[in-house]
Amino acid sequence: MAKQDQGSGAPDAAHRGATPSVAEPDLWYFAVRLGEGRYAFLAPLVTEVVRLGPLTRLPSAPTFLLGVFTHRGEILPVVDLGDLLLRRPVRVGPGTRATIVHAEPWRVAVLAEEIEGLVHVPKRRVGPPPAAQAAGEFLQAVVPDDLGDIAVLDMARLVTGARARSVPA
Amino acid sequence: MSDESCQLVLFQVGARVFATRATDVRRIAGFFPDDEPEALAETVLGRPWEARRGLVVDSAGEHTVLVDGVLGLRVVSDSDILSLPRFASDILATRALEGFALLDEVPTLVVDLPTLVREGPSAEGAAPREEKTPHA
Repeated sequence: MAKQDQGSGAPDAAHRGATPSVAEPDLWYFAVRLGEGRYAFLAPLVTEVVRLGPLTRLPSAPTFLLGVFTHRGEILPVVDLGDLLLRRPVRVGPGTRATIVHAEPWRVAVLAEEIEGLVHVPKRRVGPPPAAQAAGEFLQAVVPDDLGDIAVLDMARLVTGARARSVPA
Repeated sequence: MSDESCQLVLFQVGARVFATRATDVRRIAGFFPDDEPEALAETVLGRPWEARRGLVVDSAGEHTVLVDGVLGLRVVSDSDILSLPRFASDILATRALEGFALLDEVPTLVVDLPTLVREGPSAEGAAPREEKTPHA
């Protein structure tokens, strides 16, 4: 199982026991946008954002798995989040950037329509994903911030759902 | 420190170039449909446009995988052959894609031909396909 239950920004030992208003722990997320929707991975899972290189397509791959590209000598699979979550492919161009997510044992370059960046949310505001949420099968939580709700993606669920969508019943 | 090397056969299916370990290829044959009616045409690699060559593989008997052309041999270091990323291997139904060889820094898919033969014709083969020509 990926290290999905890890957050960042938890208070250090020196702050434990302080009043909640001072030491309320935050969790950090890395958010992207797909249409009106905001999605995120836990920030520690996101290692970098890179410009997408030339793609090598994979035969018999589902449409959301666009192919692979090399980054610093490493082969990274490129996943179109829009296609996988909403069946609405992301437009890929020369300037397209990919968010590299590393949740053991997977290391994936993820494409979204827009990269929002780091957001932090008080830990107490983290809630379960609503059943009716679009792409709910891929989510581990929903967190609200000042701009609205962010659906937090779970890499293990993403892989399970992706596999189900790629293998005909 | 020694770095083992291996020979790869480069071949083309449709518009795509693939590689396979030379040790998996018994011989390269011209393809004559009357001689080998059972040759494997549609695989997960796709369907060859013209099927001018066959890669003869020894996998529980001889089997021929049809390709459009054989482009040559390349010697690469074993360290230049990288595994298929875990996400891709978890998602793809086929096990015939061994990984990638970095040829001139371009990742080229390395195909496990015996596994390709064992997996047999692609399910896509049953579906109608748009005909393409190499020069289209």
